[in-house]
Amino acid sequence: MGSQSDAVLVRRILDGQVELFQVLVERYRTEFGRYATAMLGGDVDDAADALQEAFIRAYRSLASCRDQERFKAWLFRIVSNQCHNTRRARRSHVSLDRIEEPEDSAAARRMDDAEIGQTIEAALNELTGEQREAFVLKHVEGYSYAEIASLLDVGEDALKMRVHRARDELRHKSEGLR
Amino acid sequence: MTDEKRFSPEAQRYLDGETVNGLDQSELAAADLFGQVIQEYAASLRTPGAEVDRAVMDAIVPRARSHRPASLWRWLVQPHLFTVRPALVAAAAITLVAIGALTIDIPGFTDGEQAAGTTTGQPATILVRFELRAPDANEVTLAGSFNDWSPQGVQLVKNAASGLWTATVPLTPGEHQYLFVIDGSQWIPDPSAHAQVDDGFGQANSVIVVGPRGVVRS
Repeated sequence: MGSQSDAVLVRRILDGQVELFQVLVERYRTEFGRYATAMLGGDVDDAADALQEAFIRAYRSLASCRDQERFKAWLFRIVSNQCHNTRRARRSHVSLDRIEEPEDSAAARRMDDAEIGQTIEAALNELTGEQREAFVLKHVEGYSYAEIASLLDVGEDALKMRVHRARDELRHKSEGLR
Repeated sequence: MTDEKRFSPEAQRYLDGETVNGLDQSELAAADLFGQVIQEYAASLRTPGAEVDRAVMDAIVPRARSHRPASLWRWLVQPHLFTVRPALVAAAAITLVAIGALTIDIPGFTDGEQAAGTTTGQPATILVRFELRAPDANEVTLAGSFNDWSPQGVQLVKNAASGLWTATVPLTPGEHQYLFVIDGSQWIPDPSAHAQVDDGFGQANSVIVVGPRGVVRS
């Protein structure tokens, strides 16, 4: 038996073995957890809420996952949409921090880890949704371009463009780090 | 944005992981610093914990739980033999603390009722959680009689903060033998397993016994 594939688990869940959904939740809570946290400004509580909502929505619409061999990509779209929805909801009542231009970039100072995290998060917030998603998948999750292309159903050249622009923006916004 | 704040195409390719020749030293330094900062940021991110799993399962299987409160209570108050013996084993290059195999709390399921396989003709399964503390390992997998001893069969997932590797595996009731595989080459038994048996080649395999109501011996 061992580690069953996503497709086998999905079929068995749809066949009535609901408790097996736990295996998929644990598998992808871990895999997409860092992505969700990064997409939500480093707030792990928001990430937990978004993942929980996404998994419940995925379970309720599991029958609509026709290509069960591509369950991961199907689930990722739900997680991604939920993260975007959470960000939009949060934007409506929270003013996101903005990065100020360093007054003197030559006087770069060494920031502590918390400041670096805040600076990166604020800079990520300045990116477009597509750039942020591609950058996080590439540099936070550590996926290859081929893996990201499979998840997002976007060509690798377009993904590279998004990541490259995101890097330039982040470099620009985070001048003065270290 | 001024041009000096953009990465050159060569630096972008370098950051993409490609081999690049002739990259300017200042650009190389900037790219390396950028990569290091982002890597530190990624490592600092916390990930949602197992409370998400419980909340999700509570939400999707409340009916199964509420249908059997009496049997669940009876099962909770009955004595069960779950042997869990955390142990610390120091190896030359790696510190491992195996917490062994534990049944996990799955609402509507932990009362020991078999899974829906009883109605589908498929074998009933019990979800068993395997845990191994191996903070220095890069990869931990689980190989056993339940997956033809394939070292690629079950990937454990690491909690970066605690160094604890975990995986939940559906197992059929019965006796299973297993080993953890560290970084693809180091096969080790579970130090906290209740029983170890000779594998016939002078090494020990760990043994787990799964009953219809959960782990009988681990």
